[in-house]
Amino acid sequence: MAQVFDRSSNALARASLVLAGLIVIALGVTLNSLQRSPWVTRQGQRPDQPVPFSHKHHVEGLGLQCQYCHVSVEKSSYAGIPPTKTCMNCHSQIWTNAQLLEPVRQSWATGASLQWIKVHDLPDFVYFNHEIHVNKGIGCASCHGRVDEMPLMYEQNSLQMEWCLNCHRNPAVNLRPTAEIYNMAWAAPSTDKPVWCAPTGTAGPTAQQVGCVASDPATSNPQVAQLSDPTGMGNAQMVPAAPVVTMPATYVKFTSQEELGHYLMKQYHIRTANELSSCEVCHR
Amino acid sequence: MNETLRATGLPMHKQEADSSATLRNDNQAGGAAQVVNTIAPAKMTLAEVRAKLDGKSGKRYWKSLDELADTPAFQELMQEEFPRQASAGEWVDSVSRRGFLKVMGASFALAGLAGCTKQPDEQIFPYVKQPEDLVLGKPMFFATAHPFPTGAIPVLVKSDAFRPIKLEGNPEHPIAKGKSDAFTQASLLDLYDPDRSQFPRFRGEQADFNEFQAQFAKAVAATKTGEGVVFLSETVTSPTLAAQWKQVQAKYPQAKLVQYEPVNQDAARAASKAAFGEYVDTQYKLEDADVILALDADFLGGIGFPGFLPMSAAWAERHRFDKDKPMNRMYVVETSPTVTGFKADHRLALKPSEIDQFANALAGGNSTLSNPEAQKFLSVVMADIKKSGGRFAVIVGPGSSQAAHAAALTMNAAQGAVGKTVFYTETVAPLPTEQASDLKALVADMNAGKVQWLVMLGVNPLYNAPADLAFEVAFNRVPNSVHLGSHVDETGFYSTWHINKAQYLESWSDARAYDGTISIVQPMIEPLYAGKSAHDVLQTLLDPSVSAYNVVLANAKSYLAGGGGAAASSTPTVVAAKSAASVSPDQASKAALGLAAASTPLELAWRKALHDGWIANTAFTPKTLGAPKGGAATAAPVGSGIEISFKADSSVYDGRYANNGWLQELPRQVTSMSWDNAALMNMDLMGKLGIEENEAIELTLNGRKIITPVLMSPGHPNDAVTVQLGSGRRAEAGRVGAGVGFNAYALRTSDAPLSASGLTIARGHGTYDLCVTKVHNIEHRGTFAQRDLEHPESDKEGTYSLAGHEAMERSIIRYATYEEAMKNPDFAHAGTKDSNGTLVNKVGYNPQGEAVPHDESFWPDNWRYDHIEEVSAGKVLQNKWGMSIDLNSCVGCNACVVSCYAENNIAVVGREQVKIGRIMQWMRIDTYFEGDLHAPSAHFQPMLCQHCESAGCEQVCPVGATVHTPEGINTMVYNRCVGTRYCSNNCPYKVRRFNFLLYSDYDTESLKFMRNPDVSVRSRGVMEKCSYCIQRIEAVKIEADRNNRAIEDGEILTACQQACPTDAIVFGNLNDPKSRVVQRKAEERDYQVLADLNYRPRTTYTAGVINPNAELA
Repeated sequence: MAQVFDRSSNALARASLVLAGLIVIALGVTLNSLQRSPWVTRQGQRPDQPVPFSHKHHVEGLGLQCQYCHVSVEKSSYAGIPPTKTCMNCHSQIWTNAQLLEPVRQSWATGASLQWIKVHDLPDFVYFNHEIHVNKGIGCASCHGRVDEMPLMYEQNSLQMEWCLNCHRNPAVNLRPTAEIYNMAWAAPSTDKPVWCAPTGTAGPTAQQVGCVASDPATSNPQVAQLSDPTGMGNAQMVPAAPVVTMPATYVKFTSQEELGHYLMKQYHIRTANELSSCEVCHR
Repeated sequence: MNETLRATGLPMHKQEADSSATLRNDNQAGGAAQVVNTIAPAKMTLAEVRAKLDGKSGKRYWKSLDELADTPAFQELMQEEFPRQASAGEWVDSVSRRGFLKVMGASFALAGLAGCTKQPDEQIFPYVKQPEDLVLGKPMFFATAHPFPTGAIPVLVKSDAFRPIKLEGNPEHPIAKGKSDAFTQASLLDLYDPDRSQFPRFRGEQADFNEFQAQFAKAVAATKTGEGVVFLSETVTSPTLAAQWKQVQAKYPQAKLVQYEPVNQDAARAASKAAFGEYVDTQYKLEDADVILALDADFLGGIGFPGFLPMSAAWAERHRFDKDKPMNRMYVVETSPTVTGFKADHRLALKPSEIDQFANALAGGNSTLSNPEAQKFLSVVMADIKKSGGRFAVIVGPGSSQAAHAAALTMNAAQGAVGKTVFYTETVAPLPTEQASDLKALVADMNAGKVQWLVMLGVNPLYNAPADLAFEVAFNRVPNSVHLGSHVDETGFYSTWHINKAQYLESWSDARAYDGTISIVQPMIEPLYAGKSAHDVLQTLLDPSVSAYNVVLANAKSYLAGGGGAAASSTPTVVAAKSAASVSPDQASKAALGLAAASTPLELAWRKALHDGWIANTAFTPKTLGAPKGGAATAAPVGSGIEISFKADSSVYDGRYANNGWLQELPRQVTSMSWDNAALMNMDLMGKLGIEENEAIELTLNGRKIITPVLMSPGHPNDAVTVQLGSGRRAEAGRVGAGVGFNAYALRTSDAPLSASGLTIARGHGTYDLCVTKVHNIEHRGTFAQRDLEHPESDKEGTYSLAGHEAMERSIIRYATYEEAMKNPDFAHAGTKDSNGTLVNKVGYNPQGEAVPHDESFWPDNWRYDHIEEVSAGKVLQNKWGMSIDLNSCVGCNACVVSCYAENNIAVVGREQVKIGRIMQWMRIDTYFEGDLHAPSAHFQPMLCQHCESAGCEQVCPVGATVHTPEGINTMVYNRCVGTRYCSNNCPYKVRRFNFLLYSDYDTESLKFMRNPDVSVRSRGVMEKCSYCIQRIEAVKIEADRNNRAIEDGEILTACQQACPTDAIVFGNLNDPKSRVVQRKAEERDYQVLADLNYRPRTTYTAGVINPNAELA
């Protein structure tokens, strides 16, 4: 009986073995990158909103403070989406006939909610809490990116668990003085732009425990430094947290985020990485 | 095919095919895709049981007759790690096994991809105008009260964005002190019940309330005097409603008000009328009672007993073991075994007529009882009472007969308890009546055609009226019937008009608590279905334009400070508020604030009343009454026949909670029956009649018959049967309550509402497999762990009933008498010797199941929780959470279990699933019986996740879904769980619950409002268990961290702890030496359950101490 398989089948069989392995690996790689791709995470996507609201215009252009709209960010897990009333505070006076604002006026007239699409959407089994982050020195921009430069809102970071854990395992990389929480343009200290911080000596909420300045307190009064500085929201300048503090002797100079972060972790009583990355912190 | 019970026409099964599957004979013939849910009943004769119990030495515990019998069928059941787990037959959707594999094959292939699917777009619906005080994400708390016929329970409602999501007792109220009960907790689910009536109906068609008002007002006005107009109401609890009724009466003098509830206080009313010539309520101050005698009074069972909260708290306080304080002693004489009976130091089981005889003897002091046991009990109790010098109380309640009430009145007066522990006050109900006789008169009027309009306010007489009155016949002679009810129930369905009733969380009213303190009932949410209250219906005849809010406000002037004590006026003068129907809580408080800037004392008082939830100085002052007239009646002869006792169900009460899934599923007190009621009787009677447990029998009383299943009830008196009211609701009850159990009202007559004699029992109605949860927690470890000398045959398979066996061998339950405890305070850790001098609680394990000594452990220092944290000013040790449960105080009332349901979004699984051991409750109350079947004692032990430091579950989870937190909590990560169930297999406490099917209701809209937003709703295939209310811990931790302070003791209360009326559960930080939990655990009586496994449980128990009288020992 003749051979069913030709000698060349041997090569074919070997090749297919290798190929099968490659396919499995390729599949794994594909799924892995798919899983992290913006298609799944929605990173950078700008969904169609009823009103093309521009954070850039309102924050950078007009200088609205974050909490004007997101009122409960410091006191609740939920930062708050502004009610139509907040829009109408101004838009009953200006741009009263703009076509773009028709849904807002419609909502105001009918009492029906504006229906926004959630941009930062965590799974329902994740219990994120704004209050503790904002109070412990995590700035808005650390998670949401430069919202003041976004004409249309999008997700800057993936908000995936690995991204959360990057910080929960090492919070020092993102901690900033609590006075700079809402400063979109806050930049980590560097040798060119050092930061001086000192404990204020007050007990109580974290937000009042450390004061930081952007100019050397040994050579100039921090308050003078502040006054001489045209401070604005889009401006990467320091605002003293506790203006009453005059020349405390314990100012420490920081020239890197790493140093500042560790200093603040101690001052703010940030829990250890072990505790922060425990499951129950986010999942209940 | 065998004949199923359905053919016999059991009244409880009006449901379709799915429920008929529960009724089958033992040798069920195979059909397609059955739901396997039968557990073969124990075949055991009385003699066998006696033989089993004979010759046992030491303390012997058991949980159910099955277990005691130790039948092969029971062993077989136990050999399955989860009873009846995943067999091919259980796919309810009848996918065959092969089909299932095909489907699953495809699913597995796609499983990897499924992880990558993206979430759908979610929308945000912001407010248009956000309420000023609302911080989204932070709950608010509002005070109100849960009106109940025995007295209102003041509550604090946790409101998330104005949705009530949890009820707690009002912590500042003198009665509640933050505690609550099972009914109050479950009334939250009542609010969101999807079966609630959603619109008014006229002859079954949707109609308009205004239309009713117009029609009704016109018809009544036409009568001029109100003749032929009768209001049939549930017990009026609201002073405002009573005032409204008085106005209606003034306007229409011939109109009548009849109050009727099937479980009422008629006996107490009649007795107080006979003794004092007026209706009075009795208040007990058990703080000062050294001796307590309860005559069929289940005052530890729930708010069905007036004053449950203060009485159980006071009893528990006086029953705590303290070397420096004398302990109280409780005697209970009762028919049906209740938690009160088993918490008593001495319990005497008598049938109803014997209790009457006992009561008469007690009152008369000299009669002799035919039962020598009772005679001895009586003389001992009398001696103890006399010795107490007035520091005693004879307690009677709604379940006690009139003779018992009379005896209590006499005894309390004669021996000087009145004024010390017993006080008489005016009645909590503003319009006290004797309800059964009133209803009887009403039915006569209806039959005579004298009633033109029958307005039924919150009652359901077509279901629960006494059988002898033939209410349905009389009902048909009434031309216009109006039914105000939360459901289109049995009565609502047949009424001309049905008005959907607003629940108390949606409406304005007021009510008095046990001590008379008035609470304003204020709405927490706009009525979900625009429901109306009794205030609105009565107002129809007065001035329909005045809202319930204004009526309550106007009447409140009579009792508010600054109101001038003016009599209730129908003209509201204070504020033109919107009608209650459109008032949401914020608007309501605004409306209250809308009393301008609260300038007058009245306005201030009203605002304070709404804020506090109660009005100070409205409690009753005790009345000074003379000696009760009457005294001992002549002793009625004790009947020789079988007697029947009717009891309100400990879960569904009189049937009003029948459609409440939490309560239906809640294992009944003592019996652990879920989704069922049964005829309870003792082994002797069963033996005499040849009845086996789970057999369906026919009860005949005065020619009326019902068919019921039988449950053996340890401690039930001979020749007596107890049936529970409130089951057997018809299809109108709703999706949960319809067809559950049998209707005991069918036997109950107006002249014998509590008990009756002359019952006959007939066999031969097949088998009804009762749903009892006791056999569910089954242990299944290898033979390695099994070294039991007493059950060598069962050891071969390595299967155990955790409950009985381990309680016996390993001292799960530990207790001692007061004398023993005084002699040896460390009794909980010392072995006991039986009569032969052998150490009981021994074999193979550490003696008494003690914790492994430090140096014997493999990992002596592996679990350390002594990391030091810097907090603001100083350094503190980290948090280390733990719990202590005092078995001396736990009365088994189930409040904790229902509280846990509400707090943790626990699913209701239904009878079929409970039957096969899949009840989802995170905590259960284990009832361990001990000793003789006829007079057993029982011990209640709440069992929940023990949060072991070296937890077995964590070691076997392949995906790290159950892990330890740095603070020592064994936490469950639902989104990681893949459902292997290894953790549950390795849990010796059997406290893990698995979602075998999709139990959580993701679809019903109204239930979504109810969920606690801080807890995940678990889906199919996920394990869950007690989390120590991790969401509460995290919330407090965030607040404390934000302010850089340590968490104070008592700042975190777990849901079970918060509900517990007797303060049995304490939770806190084990690293805080000042915390209550540390103090509890420092007691010598503190012990760990199954400590020898070295799992290091964080939850420990305090061994009980009882205080028996040596003369009765």
